Amino acid sequence: MLRWPQNKGKEKESMDKIARIDMGAPGGPKVTEEPVGAYAGLGGRATTSLMISREVNPLAHALGAENKLVIAPGMLSGTTGSMTGRLSVGCKSPLTGTIKESNAGGQAAQVLARIGYAAIVLEGKPAGDDLYKIIVNKDGITVEVDNSLKLMDNYPLIAKLRTQYGDKVAYMSIGSAGERQLLAASIACTDPELRPTRHCGRGGVGAVMGSKRVKAIILDDAGCKMRPPKDPEKYRDANRKFVEGLRKHPVTGEGLPAYGTNVLTNVLNEAGGYPTRNFKSGVFEGAAKLSGEAQAELEIKRGGTATHGCHRGCVIQCSGIFNDKDGNYVTKQPEYETVWSHGGHCGIDDLDTVAKLDYMDDNIGVDTIEMGVTIGVAMDAGLAEFGDSAGAIRLMEEVGKGTPLGRVLGCGAEITGKVFGVEKVPVVKGQALPAYDPRPIQGIGVTYATTTQGADHTAGYAIATNILKVGGDVDPLKTEGQVELSRNLQIATAAIDSTGMCLFIAFAIMDQPETFQALLDMLNAFYGTELTGDGVVDLGKTVLSAERDFNTRAGFTKHHDRLPRFFYTDPIAPHNQVFSVPDEELDQLFNW
Amino acid sequence: MSDMYQHRLDLTMATDRSKDFFPLLQQGILVPCRTGVTLGELLRDQWGIDAGYVKTRITTIFLNHRAIDDMEQAVVRDGATIALSGAMPGLVGATMRCGGHLAAMRGAMTHRDDTDDRSAHEAPVRLKLFNLLLPELGPFLLQRGIIMAAAELTAFLAHRDLNFWQACYGARWDGNVVDPHLLAADMEAYAGSSILLRIKNED
Repeated sequence: MLRWPQNKGKEKESMDKIARIDMGAPGGPKVTEEPVGAYAGLGGRATTSLMISREVNPLAHALGAENKLVIAPGMLSGTTGSMTGRLSVGCKSPLTGTIKESNAGGQAAQVLARIGYAAIVLEGKPAGDDLYKIIVNKDGITVEVDNSLKLMDNYPLIAKLRTQYGDKVAYMSIGSAGERQLLAASIACTDPELRPTRHCGRGGVGAVMGSKRVKAIILDDAGCKMRPPKDPEKYRDANRKFVEGLRKHPVTGEGLPAYGTNVLTNVLNEAGGYPTRNFKSGVFEGAAKLSGEAQAELEIKRGGTATHGCHRGCVIQCSGIFNDKDGNYVTKQPEYETVWSHGGHCGIDDLDTVAKLDYMDDNIGVDTIEMGVTIGVAMDAGLAEFGDSAGAIRLMEEVGKGTPLGRVLGCGAEITGKVFGVEKVPVVKGQALPAYDPRPIQGIGVTYATTTQGADHTAGYAIATNILKVGGDVDPLKTEGQVELSRNLQIATAAIDSTGMCLFIAFAIMDQPETFQALLDMLNAFYGTELTGDGVVDLGKTVLSAERDFNTRAGFTKHHDRLPRFFYTDPIAPHNQVFSVPDEELDQLFNW
Repeated sequence: MSDMYQHRLDLTMATDRSKDFFPLLQQGILVPCRTGVTLGELLRDQWGIDAGYVKTRITTIFLNHRAIDDMEQAVVRDGATIALSGAMPGLVGATMRCGGHLAAMRGAMTHRDDTDDRSAHEAPVRLKLFNLLLPELGPFLLQRGIIMAAAELTAFLAHRDLNFWQACYGARWDGNVVDPHLLAADMEAYAGSSILLRIKNED
């Protein structure tokens, strides 16, 4: 029984409707609206995963008419609450073949929620070659042909749309990669400065949007208000305590604002867990040059900033602005995953090269992790030397041009590895591994192997057992318990992904019980509920169960919950470890 | 002089130039110490870092590239490399945390002492400082002194810009006043030696 209170339509919710857009309807795309119904009180990943699991045939072709693309703001998006700007996009992934939820910051979640949609669902597939844009505002949804946008990449695309729709809207878009249905294609969401820098990156969600011939979605909340809480005073009080907790914690209040996520480079490298030159070593000699500390200093020196929020209402401000040596904008501050994937993974130690590649990821519209890992695999195949900055940029340019080589690369690391005969390709369920080697950090390997999403570091990201009282304490000196920890983290993350909250609240919530309570109080004050930690666990399990069920029906078995063979056989320096968590333990993770 | 270094260089700098030394501190510098003690004893008793600061701000620690869970058990021996960091974000950041309950996820790389050897020597250890600890501990440790090879120090000084030298108010070599602008050239005569560099901040 799901102990997550749902309104069931008894009172009017502010996100009270779902829009379905049948892109393949006879005579042209057709928009229908329906009450939120069974999805009332849910949001984000809960909405996308439950809907995909219930409505999409798991055997469907991910780029076909049967697949759906569900776009859902979080439960608290569009409110005055802090950190509530995450937007979830869900579908069957063309990259992995599993269910997929991919989320991003930016402004889209806030705006869509205020307009009143709990979800927009793209269905069907149009015949013909026309390209569409979708305009969403308080008066409804219109779908228009606009072939002038064909094969535009995200930056010039948004610049063009701004001349027509202005600067007080939020944009979602795909670049040329999405139109070409490349499996690494992302969906961009604009940030407060209207740059297409925040991406639903993983799993090829951009290709699904491209398969439905949707190029851009313009979200306009003019005339709409902030979503009202059931108890405004309690909500305001809870939000204040929540913000206080975030500000006083050293991670969310100091480290992330000062250095961004790239603060992890030095630490991971020191730990010997920094995958270098396609996972050949755990230490990169150039790591200090790529570090968050070096990046922050460079950004500030060049007139950019190391402290910037990706959406209004963010108090952590982990992003930034990266300029070139002449002070001209290059890209948003590259994240740790980007700096690693385009940096140490490829043997490159130059931040300007990394920034250039980050811009290209955002512009062409591809997942920065998948592309960086792919380029590293391509280097292993001999298409460029490790450390060759110009070579890496050249390979990315191929993706942007849509050349045959570019199409191969743009379909990700696994396909690139197969085409060029590379043995050691770091993927799980077809998705590239992120920036943490699973051999010295075996617990992250458990998550990579077992998550419903393919290799994913954010799937088991948040909140510890001592807060949720799930599974009890685990002896840190024993290797037993890794599976249990990963399970609990995956459950908690699935719940957090549904709230619309940025996952970076996790550390403050883990350390400060009063901050976790403040989050619960915000949810309760907004929805008029009496949610506890048990309810959070239930929601997480419900979401994961639905995802797991979809994957099983799609043909995935326990044999897919494994890392690539070389992680079991190739020890990595400096710790000389292999991944050694037994298969039988991995198979126990989803044991409820 | 000490067995650990042959010469001393004392610089008096404007406070806001400490950050010029941060890249050195990130990559690792040699710091004088007496080995054979626990990490906690080293930080508090030898280096004089406030106990409360050690407990609350130094939350991620590596000894010889292995994560530490109890600095009162981990023994620092000759040739050790110590890395100190503030709290890290994300799952893996939390996993690395000193004494954290996610430590099991990185059991394979957790520090474990496999010897009872507690022999004490005057020997330098390599210390790395990361993120928030750079501005918080860096000036303090620079004031206590770090050991650099002459070639390394020469190269560092040779790459300083005009602003750096304008903020350098004075220099002493082995206690004698010297012209800071001539340091890089003068030190070539001491190639092969180790130098204790101390930075005094003044505004």
